[in-house]
Amino acid sequence: MERGRAVPYWALFVGPYGVYLLLFLVLPFANVALLSVYLHSPTKIAVAEFTAGNYAKLWEVYYASLFLRTLRLALVVTGVCVVLGYPLAYILARSTSRVLTVGLFLLIVPLMVSTVIRVFGWVVILGSEGLVNQALRRLGAPDGVRLLHTEGAVIVGLAQQSMPFMVLPIMAAIERIPPSLEEAARNLGASWSQMFARVIVPLSTPGLVSGALLVFSVSMSAFVTPALMGGRRERMVGQQIFEEVLTAYNWPGAASLTIVLAGLMLALVALALWATGRRARLETARR
Amino acid sequence: MAEGQVALEVSGLTKRYSPEVTIGPVSFAVREGEFFSLLGPSGCGKTTTLRCIAGFETPSGGSITLAGQRLDDRPPHRRDVGLVFQNYALFPHLTVFDNIAFGLRLRKVERAEMERRVARMLELVDLPNLAERYPAQLSGGQQQRVAIARSLVLEPSLLLFDEPLSNLDFKLRIQMRYELRDLQRRLGKTAVYVTHDQSEALALSDRIAVLSEGRIEQVGTPSEIYEQPASAFVADFIGSSNLVTAQVRGDGGGADTTVETDHGLALTIPRLADAAGTTLVLLLRPERFQMAGDNGDRVVANRFPATVRDVTYLGEDLHLRVLAAERQPLLVSIKNSKGTRAITAGAVIDLAIDPDDIHVLRR
Repeated sequence: MERGRAVPYWALFVGPYGVYLLLFLVLPFANVALLSVYLHSPTKIAVAEFTAGNYAKLWEVYYASLFLRTLRLALVVTGVCVVLGYPLAYILARSTSRVLTVGLFLLIVPLMVSTVIRVFGWVVILGSEGLVNQALRRLGAPDGVRLLHTEGAVIVGLAQQSMPFMVLPIMAAIERIPPSLEEAARNLGASWSQMFARVIVPLSTPGLVSGALLVFSVSMSAFVTPALMGGRRERMVGQQIFEEVLTAYNWPGAASLTIVLAGLMLALVALALWATGRRARLETARR
Repeated sequence: MAEGQVALEVSGLTKRYSPEVTIGPVSFAVREGEFFSLLGPSGCGKTTTLRCIAGFETPSGGSITLAGQRLDDRPPHRRDVGLVFQNYALFPHLTVFDNIAFGLRLRKVERAEMERRVARMLELVDLPNLAERYPAQLSGGQQQRVAIARSLVLEPSLLLFDEPLSNLDFKLRIQMRYELRDLQRRLGKTAVYVTHDQSEALALSDRIAVLSEGRIEQVGTPSEIYEQPASAFVADFIGSSNLVTAQVRGDGGGADTTVETDHGLALTIPRLADAAGTTLVLLLRPERFQMAGDNGDRVVANRFPATVRDVTYLGEDLHLRVLAAERQPLLVSIKNSKGTRAITAGAVIDLAIDPDDIHVLRR
């Protein structure tokens, strides 16, 4: 490293993306924040007159329940992904390289398809004339069942689309656990499930936390999936923002929703990171 | 060691990986309290055999019994067999105490009893003050001791060791060898020890099974294996050796038999009846050669000049590569002493070997 250079070398590595983020994330977001305290005008969209009204309005039952529903759906989706993703991550982490290649491809292939197309796939399966209902009719349920446009459909859709974000970090964490630890646990008298609970889970917790945060964030801000698979009344925040911008032309209203949504996500992410970081600090402190 | 009850019996054990790669059939019996080693190069099947006993591999055939009970149809966590791993396999998220208590907790041993047993183990492996440490804060030797304590605390009927010392550096390895031996003797535990290090097997074992390409070549005490190897493979694998092909000359009707190696060195060996004209493989251990004149007036039958090709200085010993009778290459090990300083490449020395020190492997 050269001495006396004005710019530290790391700045050269971080700089380009830093500028990119500044221009295309920080500045627009600052603009949104500013917009969220402007006054809404039906004719001019927004007037440069400061008000807290956009935020005050979010305490109304409609908006409060919108946020609670979004939060609840994101948590349920995260839970579904943990339950379905953990065993998958374990199998992939412990499989031979050929199985791993195929498995990873199958896991990631949904990400290569546009969300809209993927959701229409679900429509074909879950719709009133879809595969499931056709099968049910054959089995003698003439009326069919309402599957699409329900909260359940949104959960199914979101869980499928965010599964790779759960599986990949857990898999990476499990790969780093030497298989001999599993054998040691078995040798000491642990059944397979006791081994999993006492060795695999605690040692892959960092992967679980990363995966859960990713899935949670993706689900909180989902838009296309709830719009196409959800019911009319049970919206998520993303849909509401879209409506406010394009239908109601209430940009300050949309901006305040955006800021609260982002703030909520940041707060939960920070909490999770703090909690796991605290655990790690406690463990090192004991050393 | 002829008496003693059989603790572990492995009979006809086979493991097929593919038609070409098959281990076994392997059969051996380990007596109560015996330290039994499986020794061989990598790929010989020793680790597979051990893993079959522990339950991490499913044998394709044969049976394993421990104290008269069939072991091979039980899952690994119900075998009452303690395994010490090459990489120790300590749980990094648990303290030394919790590592050792792992099996006791699974067995729902009550707290006070558990603490007492863990403390006794820590005492036994000489780590009384490290209970609250994490494995990452321990040296390799300390980790190894924790791993042993973790297995021993459950008082298994059989201890298995999978090359437990191979990750330690040389001095520690030698020290741990003694500790391991002491511990096993003191507790009277039956042990099966897998290693590819022949000196480790010789130093530790009551008996050794030498394996090659999935089969047992020989089972015997360390001195039997070393002094009377059953095959050229065993002779070559245990210690360094000269394996020399030789023809029996004449009838050898006298007290001794005379042979000549393919490279023209004539040697006298202990009498072999009816061997005239046959081809033999002779084992000449490098350390059994003597510098002629070393032992004063003792008469030695095999005495011959040899040209030194090179000298490897090893401190305690010198390893010489020589040509005997001008054509027969031999490896010779002699004690380093004042008199050996003059030996350099090109020197001609007089060597001798007692006929009783020549072991005959018949072809």
